[in-house]
Amino acid sequence: MCIAYPGRILELRGGTAVVDFSGARKDVNCMLVEAKVGDMVLVHAGFAIRVVDDDYKDK
Amino acid sequence: MITKINEIAREIGREIKIMEVCGTHTSAIARYGIKSVLPKNIRLVSGPGCPVCVTSQHDIDCMIELALQGIHVSTYGDMMRVPGSKSSLDDVRMKGAKIDVVYSADEVKDGVFFGVGFETTAPMTAAALKRQVAVYSVHKLIPPAMKLLVSEKYGIDGFINPGHVSVIIGSDVYKDIAAPQVVSGFEPENILESIYKLLLLIKERRNEVVNNYSPVSNEGNELAKRLISEHFKLCDSEWRGLGKIPQSGLEVKDSKLNAKTIYSDVLKNVKAKENPACNCGDILRGILEPRECRAFGKGCIPERPLGPCMVSGEGACRIVFEND
Amino acid sequence: MINLSHGSGGKEMDELIKEIRARLKSPGEWKGADDDAAYLGDIVFTTDSFIATPLFFPGGDIGKIAVCGTINDLSVMGAKPIALSLGIVCEEGFLKEQLLKIVDSISKVCEREGVPVVTGDFKVTEKGKLDKIMINTAGVGKMVKPLANSGAKPGDAIIVSGPIAQHSAALLAARFGYSPIESDCGSVKDRIFSVIQDINSAKDPTRGGVAAALNEISEKSNVKIVIDEESVPINSDAKAVLDMLGVDIYSSASEGIFVCTTQNPEAIVRKLSGSAVIGKVESGSGVFLKTRVGVRKIHKPTGKLIPRIC
Repeated sequence: MCIAYPGRILELRGGTAVVDFSGARKDVNCMLVEAKVGDMVLVHAGFAIRVVDDDYKDK
Repeated sequence: MITKINEIAREIGREIKIMEVCGTHTSAIARYGIKSVLPKNIRLVSGPGCPVCVTSQHDIDCMIELALQGIHVSTYGDMMRVPGSKSSLDDVRMKGAKIDVVYSADEVKDGVFFGVGFETTAPMTAAALKRQVAVYSVHKLIPPAMKLLVSEKYGIDGFINPGHVSVIIGSDVYKDIAAPQVVSGFEPENILESIYKLLLLIKERRNEVVNNYSPVSNEGNELAKRLISEHFKLCDSEWRGLGKIPQSGLEVKDSKLNAKTIYSDVLKNVKAKENPACNCGDILRGILEPRECRAFGKGCIPERPLGPCMVSGEGACRIVFEND
Repeated sequence: MINLSHGSGGKEMDELIKEIRARLKSPGEWKGADDDAAYLGDIVFTTDSFIATPLFFPGGDIGKIAVCGTINDLSVMGAKPIALSLGIVCEEGFLKEQLLKIVDSISKVCEREGVPVVTGDFKVTEKGKLDKIMINTAGVGKMVKPLANSGAKPGDAIIVSGPIAQHSAALLAARFGYSPIESDCGSVKDRIFSVIQDINSAKDPTRGGVAAALNEISEKSNVKIVIDEESVPINSDAKAVLDMLGVDIYSSASEGIFVCTTQNPEAIVRKLSGSAVIGKVESGSGVFLKTRVGVRKIHKPTGKLIPRIC
């Protein structure tokens, strides 16, 4: 189960981040992770579930 | 990698049955045509990791009943077309019921949210409960289902463990499941590598858990796990096709937010009627493959599904139907 | 009972249309009745209807899509569009301002393409009897070179004139709270006519996307089509939105590109910027996708595309 997609945090305000997914931007709830601007996060169903490295797909 | 897989499959010789537990893996495997490059003696079967597929007919009937009673209901898109005993949420919406399809639990402001999914989506539902949104929970846990499949001896040689469920629960929890397992990601190269690593474990008869997906840690996401235990308690759960599995589900802790309690009067009269022609149960246990089901492609097609395996984008039958 | 899957461009819709056609009886001398447009000698005729899904979106609106859709249907048939008819049905309560905005949008397209609206009709229904507005356009064209869906031959290359799935991505981005993605809604007339002499068959991948279009060509031409996934152009933001919502990119709609088969791919790719060779035609049957690691079949899409997360 679970489509999760990687995106980069552009802005972070309280628990909500603006995340960039290869050019498409969306608000994402960050209450489940400890993340900062510039981090790459895995997003599932509108929530970031993990901070990941840029090349996480290859590891 | 394909060469290495072929070599080791040849060394093992006999037919090897590998179950990918998670519906998104079944999807990825089909999407990238992975079966087309695997040796003939490797059988990939899909498991019960498709939340749409394992939600019981009774629960779907209950949500339909709530909608028919005029209650505002929200759900992920996946659930709309799953057939209940008489109709689906989609049918009922066409007749005027107020049903919203959401991408995120955050979008739900009122009414009842259909809490579907495994440990990956449970934290999001917990977040909705935190905002005082009422929930009808059918959340289920993966490890108990895997343990059941191993104990019932369906001849599964090894498991490809879910990727994103594992991001939440961590890889340690799988250690007491007596079977070779590899936690895998979703890129085709990674999946092939995971299959290879799993074959190594199978060959050496090692009941170990190998983590092949870097976002997964041993303990998982502590914040998410904490949120889940704040708002949910363990319960027995009815899995379509597998029957009742003890302590395999999550129930809403706060009865004021539990739709099953709030609307118990409405729901107590709901009686599900299983369709005898539907073999989804056997499909989900890996006993039957889609093409082996008598209804596949005839009485059961995506436009007129008999059961969830043909509805869900990650249902084994739907995927075979659309990709072969 | 007619349900939404009957209108979504997949298998159920095909079956229903076959049934309707059978009852309408043979179109006499007219050919191409099950192609993108019908023709008699060099007169080409087609029609399409559009409903509010939404009315306005980044890159266009229902008016623009209504006229471009018909101009494109004529163009991928190999006909130069000459004139359009415009039928509008409005629901009571529809804002006049919005109606005129849509009409202005139509007017802009007609002027740019040199294809006038020469006749039309306007009706109003009671509130609740129609969802805001319905637009029908019919188009008449003059055949330049017949491009039937049955014209593909083994050895042909398959070309797409621009990035795929853009329109679906635009609508889904708007619906699910992503930053705006522009639809590719537009006319393919000039682009297709600049290379028409090199094309054997063409289709615009609207409802049902490239999957529906290629399956149509494969069936009508009796050929096998193999697409190379890595060669298929798609904008990264469009792909991200579709992937995140679990929507198949190959079944997603475009409204401003065409797919075609040709024996002269280099000439076409040179003339059409943004176009790409995405595969080839072979003898056999079915449409297949070569992925990074294996091969799978691309089926005709079935039913509604509902975004999923699991």
